[in-house]
Amino acid sequence: MKHGSDGGSSAGSWGGHGPGPSGGVEARGRLESFVYDDDIVRKFLVATIVWGMVAFLAGLLIAFQLALPRLNFGVEYLGFGRLRPLHTNAAIFAFAGNAIFTAVYYSTQRLCKARMFSDTLSRLHFWGWQLIIVGAALTLPLGITSGKEYAELEWPIDLMIAVVWLGFFGTNFLMTLLRRRERHMYVALWFYIASIVTVTVLHVFNSLALPVGLFKSYSVYAGVQDAFMQWWYGHNAVAFFLTTPFLGLMYYFLPKAAGRPVFSYRLSIVHFWSLVFLYIWAGPHHLHYTALPGWASSLGMVFSVMLWMPSWGGGINGLLTLRGAWHKLRDDPVLKFFVAGVTFYMMSTFEGPMLSVKSVNALSHYTDWTIAHVHAGALGWNGLMTFGMIYWLLPRLFQADLYSRKLAEWHFWIGTMGILLYVIPIYAGGITQGLMWRAFDESGSLQFPDFVETVMALMPFYWLRIIGGTLFIAGMALLIYNALMTWRNRPPRYEEPVHQAPALSAAYDDGPEPASSLEANTEFARKFEARVLQGWFHRVWERKPLRFTVMTTLAVLLASALEIIPTFLIRSNVPTIASVKPYTPLELAGRDIYIAEGCYNCHSQMIRPLWHETRRYGEYSKPGEFVYDHPFQWGSRRIGPDLAREGGARSHDWHVRHFEDPRQMVGQSIMPSYAHLLAQDLDFDGIGGRVRAMAMLGVPYGEAVRDGRAAAMAREQAGVIAAELESQGGYPGMAGKKVIALVAYMQRLGKDISESVTPQAPAATGE
Amino acid sequence: MSVMHGKAPGDEARPGKSGHLLDHEYDGIREYDNPTPGWWHVIFLGSCVFSVFYMFWYHASPLSSSPEKDWDREQLSEYRRIFGGIGELGADAGTIQKMRGDARLMAVARGLFESNCAACHARDGGGINGFNLTDDLYKNIKGLEDLYAVMTTGANNGAMPSWSAKLSQNERVLVAAYVANLRGTSPASPRAADPAERPIDPWPAVVTSPE
Repeated sequence: MKHGSDGGSSAGSWGGHGPGPSGGVEARGRLESFVYDDDIVRKFLVATIVWGMVAFLAGLLIAFQLALPRLNFGVEYLGFGRLRPLHTNAAIFAFAGNAIFTAVYYSTQRLCKARMFSDTLSRLHFWGWQLIIVGAALTLPLGITSGKEYAELEWPIDLMIAVVWLGFFGTNFLMTLLRRRERHMYVALWFYIASIVTVTVLHVFNSLALPVGLFKSYSVYAGVQDAFMQWWYGHNAVAFFLTTPFLGLMYYFLPKAAGRPVFSYRLSIVHFWSLVFLYIWAGPHHLHYTALPGWASSLGMVFSVMLWMPSWGGGINGLLTLRGAWHKLRDDPVLKFFVAGVTFYMMSTFEGPMLSVKSVNALSHYTDWTIAHVHAGALGWNGLMTFGMIYWLLPRLFQADLYSRKLAEWHFWIGTMGILLYVIPIYAGGITQGLMWRAFDESGSLQFPDFVETVMALMPFYWLRIIGGTLFIAGMALLIYNALMTWRNRPPRYEEPVHQAPALSAAYDDGPEPASSLEANTEFARKFEARVLQGWFHRVWERKPLRFTVMTTLAVLLASALEIIPTFLIRSNVPTIASVKPYTPLELAGRDIYIAEGCYNCHSQMIRPLWHETRRYGEYSKPGEFVYDHPFQWGSRRIGPDLAREGGARSHDWHVRHFEDPRQMVGQSIMPSYAHLLAQDLDFDGIGGRVRAMAMLGVPYGEAVRDGRAAAMAREQAGVIAAELESQGGYPGMAGKKVIALVAYMQRLGKDISESVTPQAPAATGE
Repeated sequence: MSVMHGKAPGDEARPGKSGHLLDHEYDGIREYDNPTPGWWHVIFLGSCVFSVFYMFWYHASPLSSSPEKDWDREQLSEYRRIFGGIGELGADAGTIQKMRGDARLMAVARGLFESNCAACHARDGGGINGFNLTDDLYKNIKGLEDLYAVMTTGANNGAMPSWSAKLSQNERVLVAAYVANLRGTSPASPRAADPAERPIDPWPAVVTSPE
């Protein structure tokens, strides 16, 4: 912000200081020869295409499931709650992830004038990442999940991610930077550095968990703190996995494709640092009106509002780079993809700050508005940028002309139409549902008290989304065909041109420090003006990758710490509620089933202090109610109703029949059937280990742990519930089944808080 | 400081539109030395100023509220609006009978019934998993006050849960009256009667009271 007044050319230029091609005085090093590793780029490119199709098809299937619940097939592995994480993980980590790696491996080598540091690390990275994806694709349908959105993978896979990301990818990348033959690092590399560092930090701290066996773990954080960590992670996964690497991608491939210089170097600097520093704070905007302390929610909002311009900095630099090249858009599909992609980016990064304003969020939260927002970003920005990159790379990597420019054009138009046909109806649906939830009639009663009415109102929009998604996938099919046909025309042996560049010498002179344009002022002010405001310091940083990495890490860690530390240390954030007790062993087992089935994908457990919400669901949720929730299950979307006060609202029999087939109880329900829970036996003996793990995390399980009675206690409670169930006219013989544990959990939800209250509170207090 | 005032190809067509080209070059990519747009600075600075102002206004000034305070206010005004002239209702048959004729309060009760009871008893009272409330057959009910009692304590081993923690006494009295009024209506798909249900005497006739 402070650079605007210097008017560009008058106060000196950013970057060019002293003679020589790279600014400073270069002592010529020895001339070296090298060959770029394009084989690894080809590998990542193919993986991007393959996993992209998988992710899109999984998305289409779950979109169909919402419109036609019988497409859950009654198969436990294919229920919406298990497939939705598969879709999101595939889209983010498999499709976007491989796209990032394609971009990084291609551009870094060229921007550094160096082959990747280690071919072995490159291959370990590639195969390790694909193994992680296969692991995700196998475990998620099996219900092996940690229950935290976009971080569902269990701890062994989490460990692999850390090793592959930092150990293989990060090391390989940073070592390549150190071995570069280009003195200064181009802006794309800054974004790659920020992505690698921050994703590592986010992944490690959010995934900290205590394992219970190979396939199960509990988050070390609980309730409010877990929610905070999760959305610190979740939001910054959007930032540092779906935004910064793709900005790096844009900064390399867009000017290459356009054949134009980048619009503004100094805008790159300003928006890079402001983006990196501000993004980290914004996570709590996912938790407005929840039990998160108000100060954190406000910080989340204001930092999101401040993020608008830093985000747009990238968009401006992308679009204005095309000044003087707009005519090329007419017949270059690559540029079409890039322009539309950057436009979607700018729409999403305007919409994001808007959605983070509390009063807007009160309407949008838990609705499909959020779904439309992320798909405008994911399909529009990540998708179209990736497709543009792929079409640009295909002829270069396979050393053959693109098979058909016309098909690429068709892909662009079909895909873009598909995105619009997806997001516009879902925006309409989200706003419709949000308005229906809060509508009152003249008597002061909810106008749509029956939740399923508000679901049925979405059906036309859901069908339109299916059409939009199908079009998007049809475009992807064209890409696959085009890529295959291009690949078929490849030469028998890929040409591997040998490049030459001088090695960097140890001696480098940055040139004289610029003179300050300030005249009468303190020495400090003059130095500050010359070094900082004229950007001289940054030019120096750009040739020091280690310093640059450290500074980026510090920016991210400092911003995180300023928010995380108070969240954990301020006691008043979570006032204790004496009547809130740990879950019984059986309820804990039920909770684990709830997590495994992915119920949180459709049901929130967080009633906001909004009048319509407490009328529908009961007393609003308090921070102290979640102190034993490892992990928290507040959810982010209400495809079904909130369950925070579900305990005691219905009979056991209702729940069992509802799980067996929801349409027995709610005729128009779109929930999958969970009949398998009525058939499968609960592993009572495994409960002891789970209770012990919880106790290690500080949950006060006295007797049950001390005497190893967890399993016996669970059996007792299951017997009581099964007997009640039978006497209610329900199914006999359920005592040993999984469904009993889940019912026990359901019946406990949200009840503790009323235990302390004297039997009857005054009328209409909602107590 | 020397700056290469280079021009990119195509610039000639748009004189004066682009700034200086910086002299560095990465794999053929070059960069202009254009200043950041002025409007960018204005909005960015504006958002920063707004943020500081907002934090102080929201968290440190007496002018602001909080979602919880707003909720308390709304609750109070709703309570006054609905129960203002009534106060605490008794749970006796007479009060319930009186409420049955109060059209305004029965509209309130309909909302409560549809939000809380319809999941098991259906919106029209015909019954799903819970009993049909429209016919003359009842299991635990003999008088109007029993409707309140069953709602308060639950019945049939929890098949009918207790609502004492979820609905206030006034709300339960109103819902009892509303349920009494459902008797004799014709639901779309009535649930078959339970063998334990027995016919009971009709409720007293409703006298519509002036509001």
